[in-house]
Amino acid sequence: MVLDRLFGRRPQARTDWSVMSSIIRAEQRLMARGEISPSRRGGLIFRNDESNPFMRDLKQELDPVLYSGPGATKTAFEIQDDDHGMRWVVMEDGNFEDLVSSVYTVGNAMGANGGAGNLLAAVFELYFTGTVDDNSFRSGLRTYWIYRYDRKSFYPFVPTGESTGDRDKPTEVSLASRARRQGMVIERNMEEWMGLWGIPF
Amino acid sequence: MTSLGMRKFRRDPGLVSRMYFTMFMLGILYAIFALVLWTLSVQIVFIGVIVGGFALFQYFMSDRMILWASGAKLVTEQQEPELHRSIKRLADRASMPMPKVAVINSHVPNAFATGRNPSNALVAVTTGIRERLSDRELDAVLAHELAHVRNRDMRVLAIGNFLVTLTSFLMTMFFWSMLFGGLGGRRDNNASAILLVYVVTIVVYFVGQLLVLALTRYREFGADHSGAEISGDPGALASALEKITGQMARIPDQDLRRLQTASAFLFAPIALRSGVGSLFSTHPPVEERIRRLKELERRMSFGMR
Repeated sequence: MVLDRLFGRRPQARTDWSVMSSIIRAEQRLMARGEISPSRRGGLIFRNDESNPFMRDLKQELDPVLYSGPGATKTAFEIQDDDHGMRWVVMEDGNFEDLVSSVYTVGNAMGANGGAGNLLAAVFELYFTGTVDDNSFRSGLRTYWIYRYDRKSFYPFVPTGESTGDRDKPTEVSLASRARRQGMVIERNMEEWMGLWGIPF
Repeated sequence: MTSLGMRKFRRDPGLVSRMYFTMFMLGILYAIFALVLWTLSVQIVFIGVIVGGFALFQYFMSDRMILWASGAKLVTEQQEPELHRSIKRLADRASMPMPKVAVINSHVPNAFATGRNPSNALVAVTTGIRERLSDRELDAVLAHELAHVRNRDMRVLAIGNFLVTLTSFLMTMFFWSMLFGGLGGRRDNNASAILLVYVVTIVVYFVGQLLVLALTRYREFGADHSGAEISGDPGALASALEKITGQMARIPDQDLRRLQTASAFLFAPIALRSGVGSLFSTHPPVEERIRRLKELERRMSFGMR
């Protein structure tokens, strides 16, 4: 950072991929420390637009890219609508790196097909089972990591119930600093940590 | 009365707002119920017996209702020796009988005390608060909760709530007799007049509840102060408050989808909430509590009280 300033270099612009891939590294390190169990679920939330042909035929468009095409990661996926009028692509893959790249690919494809303004967020699940900073999660704690397309950063989301506002803020704060130390790009302005209640996975 | 007599150390917005909404609706139901009895020309003494009976029932059953509502589990000294030891030591210092001890299995850091008097008190902590706070900080929180018990805040709150319901009932009766003339006479069913009476009931009750909330905020400062005297450690309570609410207060309760669907309306509710929020809040602002505790710590370190 300081060196960049000194030599007049601009710090590298954050791209969707540079930030989204930061969860891969963090996941590996947390796994190695025994703090989480394997993660295999993720998804993408967007505002559907029936006038956009790509979104209208989304299932057919995504199938070769994610599953049946040559070189596809064989990521299982499903399209679901939520109670807020938003549409989700829910994905599952035993390989976390493939999962993240699939979620990125879907967002990228949507952006390339005129849907950039419709993308809301990508979400990944991490299941904590170990001890983090003296907090024991041995009974298991499901956490979500939300990547906001408009902010290009991650933040944690630990819902404690289905209704809006039910979230475990202290745990979110402590897990965010843990994840930041493991290299994840975390949103610094906590006022932007909007929740997503009723994530369909 | 309508109060569950629950004292929260930290505001858990979801839970607390739901609880207060329930209490509020219960109170309105209560006043309307009494009013219906009265319109049915039931003897006023009889109504008094029914309403009073309900109030007493709630007052004496509140402990059990809270245990049930919060999912708190009573723990014995064998199950939680450390927690018992801390509370016993603090209760001795405050010259109080040992309260019952309960634990709530939740990641959300929280603690509360309840009970109509010190010999029927209960102190509950969540597993989350025990994980997050140091022993010193937890002791300060427990002392704060014991102070609520010693100050008989549950009783103050119950009486406050009772007076509010009573006032709204009397006001309603007054309006009723003004509109229909005289007590006990046959009343004709003028729908809009009846509606007006019900609206008055609700408004009076609502204003009364705001006053009770102001009272609980005031008692909160009191418990901070006497709690610090019991633990002798106001700084630890300040740091516990800071740890639990400092950064957390900035995390929003909003759903991300509302940004997309209702961005035009978004800032209005937020502005409204920030202004009205403090009226409805059960606790004074954390910053103010921390400031007063630090001031107290400074004075205590110089041997002044």
